Amino acid sequence: MEESILDLITSFGFSSPEAFIALLVMVLAVIGAIVVVITIRPLLEYYPYTYPNARIRAKIGKILSDKQITELAETENLDEVKNYLRGHRDYAKYIDQYPIEQALDANLAESYDTLAKVAPGTLKPTFDILLDQWDIKNIKSVLVAKEAQLNEEETRELLVPYGVLKDDHDKMIEANTVQELIVALEGTPYAKVLEEALPDYNENKTLLTLESALDNYYYERLLVKSSSQEDENTRMLHSYVGTKIDIATLKIILRAKADGLAYDQIKPYVINRGYKLRDWKVKELMESEDLNSLLSSIESSEYGSVVADHIPEFNETNSIAVFDEALDAYERKMADNIFKKKPFGIGPIVGFINKKETEIKNLKVIARSKRGPVLPSSEIKEMLL
Amino acid sequence: MALVLGSALAAIGAGVAVGFAALGSGIGQGIASSAGVGAVAEDSGMFAQGLVFTAIPETQAIYGFLIAILLLVFSGIMGGSPLGVTSGLVAIGAGAAVGFGGLGSGMGQGIASSASVGAVVEDPDMFAQGLVFTAIPETQAIYGFLIAILLLVFGGILGA
Repeated sequence: MEESILDLITSFGFSSPEAFIALLVMVLAVIGAIVVVITIRPLLEYYPYTYPNARIRAKIGKILSDKQITELAETENLDEVKNYLRGHRDYAKYIDQYPIEQALDANLAESYDTLAKVAPGTLKPTFDILLDQWDIKNIKSVLVAKEAQLNEEETRELLVPYGVLKDDHDKMIEANTVQELIVALEGTPYAKVLEEALPDYNENKTLLTLESALDNYYYERLLVKSSSQEDENTRMLHSYVGTKIDIATLKIILRAKADGLAYDQIKPYVINRGYKLRDWKVKELMESEDLNSLLSSIESSEYGSVVADHIPEFNETNSIAVFDEALDAYERKMADNIFKKKPFGIGPIVGFINKKETEIKNLKVIARSKRGPVLPSSEIKEMLL
Repeated sequence: MALVLGSALAAIGAGVAVGFAALGSGIGQGIASSAGVGAVAEDSGMFAQGLVFTAIPETQAIYGFLIAILLLVFSGIMGGSPLGVTSGLVAIGAGAAVGFGGLGSGMGQGIASSASVGAVVEDPDMFAQGLVFTAIPETQAIYGFLIAILLLVFGGILGA
């Protein structure tokens, strides 16, 4: 047997068995390298997500269940809600430090902060921009506080202790006018945004002008920064973020048309660009004569089916809340689909964002319902997402 | 002492066995351990479970290591009678069986382990189910290991 193999090697033209071994080693090395490259390639996409996804899934596990939310809705008063939340480590540290809604926002901001820290490199630009929402929210709170002539302490209670401008809160609170706030924000992009919107504000004295300018700046940057086409994960995050922006635009236009506002009245408050809603489509929606023509126009957009399915319900109730709920449900379903489609990639991150935001929205509904005359729990449950 | 051709081929087999199996095991364990660290960072109570899931993809490297040791001992490299060319080629087959089997199995098990760590940290009741799912990709490594053993026994290497 051995001799026949040696004969075979010699018949192939090898001068010695050692030459055959050398060739065998080389062939094995090449095959090995091909096998390694082919099998490892899919892992390269997955690997950056293993650590963040484990952390995110731990956070998903801490999100309040439907049963817990129902228990909260059935509490007697706001103190009971606070006591309940004190039993949850993530909320406990904020509940006694801030008013309830600010504590909830602080918890949400902390979640975004963690996401921005652990997100894989390709997602970092998007999460860095998402963190800016707390700066925008705080600037808007200071503007509202100044208009309502709240004192420094009351203004401070409105601010969420997160964001890039966290250390500048004192300077912002000390400002007495919009002009002074712009000076306090000097060196940040928001100073320029507010400065550009100042002439309109001086003309109409409506804070919404400044707030819309800030929102437009935030959403436009978010769309641009999230538009990386590096891989499927970044594309999915972009589609989720873009859809959120489109939904926000649709809600604003629906509400405006329900209130009978015309194009010129809506335009300053609508986000200039969308994701699936192109600039011309947003313009067409705003130019709709009334709510019915708006609904027809939406039906011919990417969100047509979302709205169309609920028109009979709207005709019965005559409340645009029907569409708000439908659009929120669409966003939740989209997040859920991404969660299922990319369990080893962006899925848990998008799923967590959506679940956490839903939890905070529900907790705010419950907290508001318990603040004044307490609503029956059945009514509160109807308002929950 | 100069190596004969058969023993040299067995040495290649030993290298393939432990090299590729350890590669798969290492990648799998790296994936599992990074998920474990993430889980422990959020919940320190996850240390034990994280460690269990991280340890599971170690087995492929052990199989490869065992086959490599057997090859070294019975091929004459560490003393004893040297192998013939035929047995040397069988040794390469045995090494490839356990090596490539371990490579795929280790990586697959690492992915399953990290998913299980995520599931358990989200819901501690998932530990048993996670363990079952994580154990399943072990089978490919076992096939490779069994075939390698059979090749060693019936290829005239073990007991030669």
